[in-house]
Amino acid sequence: MDFKESTGLYLIAGGVILFVLLQSVFFLVKAWKQGEKLGIDKKKLRDAVTSSAVFTIPSALSVLATVIVLAPSLGLVIPWVRLSVLGNLLYETKAAGDAMTAFGQEGGISSVITDPEVFAGVAWVMTLGICFSLVLLPFVAKPLHRKMLNLGKKDEAKEETTEKKSGGIAGFIDLLTPAVFIGLIGAFVARAIAGKGKPETFGDGAGVLSVITLVVAVGASLILEFVAKKFKLTWLEPFVMPIGMIIAMVVAVVAYNVLPPELAVLEWRG
Amino acid sequence: MKKTNKAERTYFDRVHAWGRISSITALCILIMFPLSICLYLGVWPSLSGVMSGLMKLIPLYWSLAVIEVLVYTPMLGAGGTYLSFVTGNITNLKLPCAISSMENAKVKANSEEGEVISTIAIATSSIVTTIIIAIGVLVFKPFLPAFTNSELLMPAFKQVQPALFGALAAGYFSKHWKISIFPILIMLVVLLFAPTLDAGTLLFPGIIASVLGAFAMWKLKWVK
Repeated sequence: MDFKESTGLYLIAGGVILFVLLQSVFFLVKAWKQGEKLGIDKKKLRDAVTSSAVFTIPSALSVLATVIVLAPSLGLVIPWVRLSVLGNLLYETKAAGDAMTAFGQEGGISSVITDPEVFAGVAWVMTLGICFSLVLLPFVAKPLHRKMLNLGKKDEAKEETTEKKSGGIAGFIDLLTPAVFIGLIGAFVARAIAGKGKPETFGDGAGVLSVITLVVAVGASLILEFVAKKFKLTWLEPFVMPIGMIIAMVVAVVAYNVLPPELAVLEWRG
Repeated sequence: MKKTNKAERTYFDRVHAWGRISSITALCILIMFPLSICLYLGVWPSLSGVMSGLMKLIPLYWSLAVIEVLVYTPMLGAGGTYLSFVTGNITNLKLPCAISSMENAKVKANSEEGEVISTIAIATSSIVTTIIIAIGVLVFKPFLPAFTNSELLMPAFKQVQPALFGALAAGYFSKHWKISIFPILIMLVVLLFAPTLDAGTLLFPGIIASVLGAFAMWKLKWVK
C-alpha cells in the first residue's frame, strides 16, 4: 500500500480537521447568541447561515477539486489538511511545487512523491510557509478592530444627531468600506476581463468563457434581485448571489460544449 | 436594535480572547501535523531541504501575510478574522460570504451587528467547506478523479472565480457604481502592462485606487 494513503496519516489529518470544525461551531454559537442579545431578527441570522452555506458549496467543490488535482502527486492527506487549514487555492499549488523542487523532485507537482522523507519535507515547507498570519493575529487583530469599531461608533453617533459635517473626514467613513470591497471584487473582475494565464493551461486567463461567465453572473444576479424586489419575494433575496453564481457556472458548461472549440478555449492574453 | 453598552463591549473582548487562544492553538496543531507525519513515518527531512523550500516561499508569502492581516482584519470582523485566518480561502470564499451576508442583512461591516453576521457567515462557510472536503476525500475518494476530470464539468470548476465575483459585483457595483468605475479602469490598465498579475496581488493597487478615487469623489461632492 502507498505510504501516503496509510490509515495513520488519515487519523492525523482527521484530528486537525476536527479542531477546525469545533472552532467554527464554537464561534458560530457565540455569535448567534450575541446576535439574539443585540436584538437582531432571527430570520436575518438564519438567512446568514443558509445563504452562506449555499454560497459556499460551489467554491468548496472547487477547493475539493484542487485537493484532487494535487492528490496524484502528494496523496490526499497533505492537500486535504493544507486546504482545510489556512490554505488557499493559489498558494497551495505553488507551495507544493516549490517544496518538491527544493527536495530535488524535479517536475514539481506533475511528479509523484515516492520517498517518505520528501513527503515529510513537503509537509513542513507547506506548513511553515503559510503560518505567519497566525503568528501576527494575536498581536494585531484587537487594536485594528478597536480602531474600526471606534470609527463605526462615531458614524452611528453622527447619524443619531444628524450632524453631518460636510467637510469632516468622518463623512467619508460611509464610503471607506464599500471602496475597499470594490477594490477587492474589482481585482477578480478585471482579471476575468484582461488577465493572462499560463500558455499551457486552459481556464486561468481572460477569454471568451471567463467573460461569458462574468457577464451571466452579473446579469443573472441583477435580474434575480429585480424579481425579488418587484414581486416582494423576501425569501429569494439571500439566494440572489449564490443562484446567480450557479447559473453562471451552468452557462459556462453549456457555452464550452456549444461554442466552436477554438472559440470556447480562446484566451486573448494567452 | 440595541445600541452599544458595556456588555457588548465585553463581547468583543471575549471574542478577541477566544480568538487569540484559538489562533495559538491552531498554530500548535498546524505544526504538530508535519511533526506527527515525521514521527509516524519515522523519517526526518534534511534541514537544508526545508530551508531551501521556505526561502522560495517566505519572501512573498510572509509579506503577503502582513498585508492580508492589515487589509482583511478590518473587513472580516473580530470572530470572522480569527476563523478566516485559520480556515483559509479568504479572498475567494470567506470574504465574499461575509460581504454578501452583511449586504443581505443590511448591516455595516464596522458595526456590532456586522460583526455578528460576518462571524456567522464565515463560521458557516468554514463548516460547509470542511465537511464538503472531508466527505469528498473520505467517501467519494474512488469517484472523485472521474468527477473532477470530467470534460463536461471542467469549465464550471475553471470559471468559479468569474462566477463568484461577477455575482458579488452585481449587488455591490450597482449600488456604488460611481466609485466602482475608476478602480476597475486602473486595474485593467495595470493588467495591460502586467497581464500575469494574479488577483491576490492586483487587489492591493485596486483597493488603493478605489479608496483614493472614492475620497476624491467625496471631496468633490460627486458622492455622499
